[in-house]
Amino acid sequence: MEQFLNDNMYVIDLGELNTAPEIIFELSSVLDKEEVKNKRICLKLGNVDLNQAQLLSIKSLINGIDSTLSCVDTKSVETEKVALSLGIIVSNVSSENAVELAPTMPYKMAEELKDEVTNTEAEENEDIVEESDINGESLNDAIIEDNQKIAFEKTENSNILEENVEQKQEESQIEQELVEEPTKTINYSDIDNNVVQEATKEEIQDELDVIFGSTPSQTVFYDMQHPTEIYEEREELTDIIVPEQEYTKEDIELESFPTKYIKQTIRSGQVINYEGNIVIIGDCHPGCEVTAFGDITVWGILSGIAHAGAGGNQKAKVRALKMNAIQLRIANCYSRRPDSLNTVYIEKTNSFTPEEARIVNGEIVVFKMND
Amino acid sequence: MAGRVIVITSGKGGVGKTTTSANIGTALAKNGHSVVLVDTDIGLRNLDLLLGLENRIVYTLVDVVEERCKLKQALVKDKKNPNLCLLAAAQTRDKSSVSAEQLKKITEKLKKDYDYILIDCPAGIEQGFQTAIAGASEAIVVTTPEMSAVRDADRIIGLLEASDGIESYKLLLNRVRPNMIKSKDMMSVEDVENILSCQKIGVIPEDTGIITSTNRGEPIVNNEKSLAGKAYMNVARRINGEDVPFLDIDEPKDFVGKLKKFFSGLKKQGKE
Repeated sequence: MEQFLNDNMYVIDLGELNTAPEIIFELSSVLDKEEVKNKRICLKLGNVDLNQAQLLSIKSLINGIDSTLSCVDTKSVETEKVALSLGIIVSNVSSENAVELAPTMPYKMAEELKDEVTNTEAEENEDIVEESDINGESLNDAIIEDNQKIAFEKTENSNILEENVEQKQEESQIEQELVEEPTKTINYSDIDNNVVQEATKEEIQDELDVIFGSTPSQTVFYDMQHPTEIYEEREELTDIIVPEQEYTKEDIELESFPTKYIKQTIRSGQVINYEGNIVIIGDCHPGCEVTAFGDITVWGILSGIAHAGAGGNQKAKVRALKMNAIQLRIANCYSRRPDSLNTVYIEKTNSFTPEEARIVNGEIVVFKMND
Repeated sequence: MAGRVIVITSGKGGVGKTTTSANIGTALAKNGHSVVLVDTDIGLRNLDLLLGLENRIVYTLVDVVEERCKLKQALVKDKKNPNLCLLAAAQTRDKSSVSAEQLKKITEKLKKDYDYILIDCPAGIEQGFQTAIAGASEAIVVTTPEMSAVRDADRIIGLLEASDGIESYKLLLNRVRPNMIKSKDMMSVEDVENILSCQKIGVIPEDTGIITSTNRGEPIVNNEKSLAGKAYMNVARRINGEDVPFLDIDEPKDFVGKLKKFFSGLKKQGKE
């Protein structure tokens, strides 16, 4: 007799048993266990034919320990009919895809785990970005959506990368602690989340290589059209949510890009190239260059050169809390900061209006993203 | 047409090489000469900022050297003066990305089309300096009346004399404070000339307007009221071969002094 978990259900394999009394006997011994209580239970039966009374007694046995019999896997046509008449789902449960029930289960309940993680994050004031990491959503979307809900908090820029790595390590420690505690069920989404977090850790290491690598990274150059056009400033209310339209190849390309997440101030002379989207938490100082194949999102003041859609994607966008870029480049378009905007430095307040630059009729236009 | 290639150097940092380059370049262009300013301070470029051309740079010196663009594409025209062009340095690279031979080739090309090629040299005496002086035949050594700057200028003059390309060099004394010279707190112009035994081409007084002009991205020679602007204008004329008397930079700041000077001027005129 095997027991394992599948799709959030507790599967009890009774396929080898051929008579109803045997099944009830085995079942009653299994149901004594603490881990079966408060569960949705799936019974895996073999060729045995059960009548309605037998199946009902099994069901009531399971109900007696506050669990529910939600699914039956059987090879017998008779049993299948009976189960269906009692409102029990009949399906095939394969043990191959299921996770074997180990003596101690390394994961907590989904809700508990999420609560713990978000609690620790709230303490560290990291909730916005980290959460979106965990949910595996696109960072860009998360930031824009949360933009208006959450008041800005000045991100501390110095040594942030190191801190970030430390935080990640702390988090992984927390996870390890969680792992050691015995639990009763597995939620598959949690496993995926852990994978996502591992990946981001590796990405940060890649970032370090990009930024501090000894070989000067190559900047991609393209023939720029109209290199004298000044980017226009238009104050216009624009919806961030794009109205329903047919997805073009470029849209799909943008959404399928990987995203690099950088948490530090980008200073003069530093170059960041990435074949995907870039999210920078921190300012981009004049003299830096950020080149991305997808979107560039700066959670701070963008004062350097930003080149979005470097692979030629016309739909790429540049977003920043304050757009003060010396030059903006999107795909093969080019624009420079108007000479009238020649400010020595931008005062750091907490009342920025986020801005977004995109191509409109072959020109780069900066839109203010008001409520 | 064979243009003149002049390198502006100092050894010590912060004495005003870049300010001098921007102002002499602008002044020469104002006088009707075609001028190219070449920034060789790769990685710490500032000349574009002083000229207010920061936002116009697409291609840089390094791109020209690495043949990612043509030389003409990399020349940024000045906002006001069409005679003036800037060849900016790359900010994201370092000094090793351009070699002496490569810069020499570029200056040879530029010589054909422009009257003056001014090269803004980086501080120090290392590779960057050697690269910057490679294509030049003349040099302007910028120094301030401080012992450390004069010492470094001396070292630079020694290196310039030892180099093959430099045929002549002149001294430009920057940030001179007449009041401090009077109170013997600062070396006088003559003292510096004697120490370095080098002919001077200009004396620029200390001017707070320089800071404003740097921040605004507008060379001070465009401000006709400024004394430093006038002095730079004169330097440009001297470079061009004119015989211009040195400015009387001894301008008293207080009102009484100004009155005294005005009356003494009247007296002199009466005598004549």
